[in-house]
Amino acid sequence: MLNTRKFIAILGLGVAALALPVGPIGAGAAQAQDFPAKPLEVIVPFKPGGRTDVVARLIGDKIQEKGLLSQPMAVVNADGGAGANAVNRMRRGDDDGHTIVHWHHQALIAMAMGLGDFGLEDFKSIGYTGGGSPVWVVSEDSEFDTLEDLIAHLKENPRSLIEAVGIGTIPHFVGAMLANEAGFETRYVTANSGADRLRLVLGGNADIALFAASEYLAQGEGLKALVYFGRERLPDMPDVPTATELGYDVSWANPNWWLAPASTPDAHVAELASALEAAINDPEIVEYFRNNTLEPYWTPGDAAMADAEKQLEALKAVAATIN
Amino acid sequence: MLDAFLALAEWQNLLFLAVGTGLGIVVGAIPGLTASMLIALTLPLTFHMDPVSAVTLLIGEYVGGISGGLITAILLRMPGTPASIVTTFDGYPMAQNGFAERALALGIMASVVGGIISWGFLAGMSPALARFALQFGPWEYFTLVLMALVMLAVLSQGSMVKGLMAAALGMAFALPGIDSSIGQARLTFGSSAMLSGFGLLPVLIGAFAISQILRDAATPQESGRMDMPKSKLPIYRSDLGYAPKLLRGSVIGTWIGLLPGIGANIAALVSYSTEKQLSKEPEKFGTGHEPGVVAAESANNASIGGALIPLITMGIPGSVTEAILIGALTIHNLQPGPLLFQNAPEIAYGIIAAYLVANVLMLMLMWGAVRYIARIVQLPRSGLMAVILVFCVTGSYAVNSSFSDVWVMIGFGLVGLGLEYCRVPLGPFVIGFVLSPIAEEQLRASLMMSDGNLAEILTRPYALLFLALALITVIWPYIAARLGARARAKQAEEPS
Repeated sequence: MLNTRKFIAILGLGVAALALPVGPIGAGAAQAQDFPAKPLEVIVPFKPGGRTDVVARLIGDKIQEKGLLSQPMAVVNADGGAGANAVNRMRRGDDDGHTIVHWHHQALIAMAMGLGDFGLEDFKSIGYTGGGSPVWVVSEDSEFDTLEDLIAHLKENPRSLIEAVGIGTIPHFVGAMLANEAGFETRYVTANSGADRLRLVLGGNADIALFAASEYLAQGEGLKALVYFGRERLPDMPDVPTATELGYDVSWANPNWWLAPASTPDAHVAELASALEAAINDPEIVEYFRNNTLEPYWTPGDAAMADAEKQLEALKAVAATIN
Repeated sequence: MLDAFLALAEWQNLLFLAVGTGLGIVVGAIPGLTASMLIALTLPLTFHMDPVSAVTLLIGEYVGGISGGLITAILLRMPGTPASIVTTFDGYPMAQNGFAERALALGIMASVVGGIISWGFLAGMSPALARFALQFGPWEYFTLVLMALVMLAVLSQGSMVKGLMAAALGMAFALPGIDSSIGQARLTFGSSAMLSGFGLLPVLIGAFAISQILRDAATPQESGRMDMPKSKLPIYRSDLGYAPKLLRGSVIGTWIGLLPGIGANIAALVSYSTEKQLSKEPEKFGTGHEPGVVAAESANNASIGGALIPLITMGIPGSVTEAILIGALTIHNLQPGPLLFQNAPEIAYGIIAAYLVANVLMLMLMWGAVRYIARIVQLPRSGLMAVILVFCVTGSYAVNSSFSDVWVMIGFGLVGLGLEYCRVPLGPFVIGFVLSPIAEEQLRASLMMSDGNLAEILTRPYALLFLALALITVIWPYIAARLGARARAKQAEEPS
């Protein structure tokens, strides 16, 4: 237990050895390569148990099970400081692809808010392994049945409704993007976790909150979704319109983003990318994603970085309006 | 429900529960390692287990982890978990006075009773209680925490001014980090390591464990300060007289545990100071008074049962540990929430059943092992402290995999040493540190909600109730003194 990283790696190996049949190693295995030469460290900038953590572990397990890389992946949680702890840890680690980060677009919000001393130039993008979009939700007994009702009410009575957000987090920015686009204003109440938002909306202490689609569907009762921020309607909730359909040019797809330090050799990034791409296309992973309102897809590193740059510009514009 | 207990009777589930509880006790007792760390470490193991076994293992670890903290809190004045800070107030003086086994026995009994009473609430009236807890918004949270802060003043042993100074200093150390109400860095001096502020665990084990280690290193070895533990744990028939105190502690614990984000440490604090206020001999609290241990331990264990209520009925985790528990369920495609009872009743009732059985197992394990554990006070201090130091460093590092947390821990060890040297109590210092971020965030959230209108508090009856209780806490000692004086005056008049 003296070294958590090693301990987790050994645990992971032990589990894999116990639970998984030792199958033939796939044809694409990187046996002959000198990378990776030792177990990889995947830094997750959140506490264990959240979506980013779970997806990192699932994909890491899959890569190991299928022998997509010659070494196992050990997930390390470095929570806190709007991601600064995770970035510091990445900087202390290897810059040859043995130390990577699994994050999402909260990273861009931290950059747009000027928190932490990191920016896109610190990273090389390995790619997106799918992602999910959130919904805007009101309480089930709310007087508003559609987003149009809600916006009309807010335009007539500015700041009359309370929105539960964590200031400087995704719910805040997505809400602000919609508010800027549609021209309305809400009052905020601080709620730093999904649990806090749920508690406030269900208890009638807030009117509106943002949830991951999976959180909303799991709740099952007590909540009413007004708008989905994905690009297309989600099959699990066919009656919830997207913001784009309603005429507001706002969408938020929060990808599972794999990052390496900026100085990582391209060949190693490519090696990691091909393993991740194979993992995200695995039927078991696809099924897990579908069951959890995540979209399984693969976006290569360059395209992911271009998307992130575009998103960061948009977020900076929003940050300028809320500071 | 019966099915759930039958499922637990399967040997492998019972084994997982026992292993989890045992591990939890060990980890909970070691300063620096906490239940949430243990659960995070074993989480990957549960991916490949069936969901019921996974849940039993994790619930066992949760219950064991909170209970185990009392051992080191009593024997070494090093709370193994934040939940047992308050247990040190009377538990450690008892051990110093030669009643270590008695303090442990009382602590264990109170823990189990607290666990079982809160299980009753969990099994019997979860939905109603969860709905009740949900009404609590930022105003209620703020006034509740304010009440706990005010109680600190009452708790301070010796000089009230020094106690308040300690609390204020603790609150000041809670300021750096990201100001969650505006999302901006505050008092970080441009350091990215300071962005997350000072972590609870490094501060806690720094102030209590590291300062104790430093003090031990500076003083010559004292041996034979404590007697060899007796072979029998002292529990007497007269302990039945603690029943009302146990009930009060358990109800307070359950009720505070119900509120997500308000943890076992606040439950123990409120229960302890309530007992002290109701007591006929409040001056004895803090000097090794048995009801102090009973109040703290019944409440901190009961708070787990309370915290499980919003978790299983609404899917709202009450603590970091429970958030990880939710992660373990989602891996198995299970989402805690109202649908859990329909979609996977074996899990929902499994959690409830496992909680009760874990408490019983905890009693058996701790009772059996406690007289061996109590012997750690007989070990050479130098060796014992070296081992604890290793765990402290490892634990601090492991929270966020960050070495700056270790420096924070050492720094707070020095702060703790300095405070003790000036006879400023450590309890209020750490509790001020824990409570003030919650109070600040909730007050500012309240003001955001009401557009800066402080008068809105008048429309919130529960918030007013907490404010009134806080006020009574402050003025009660003076009223009591007045009443006492009047009674004495009357007595003096009567005999004539």
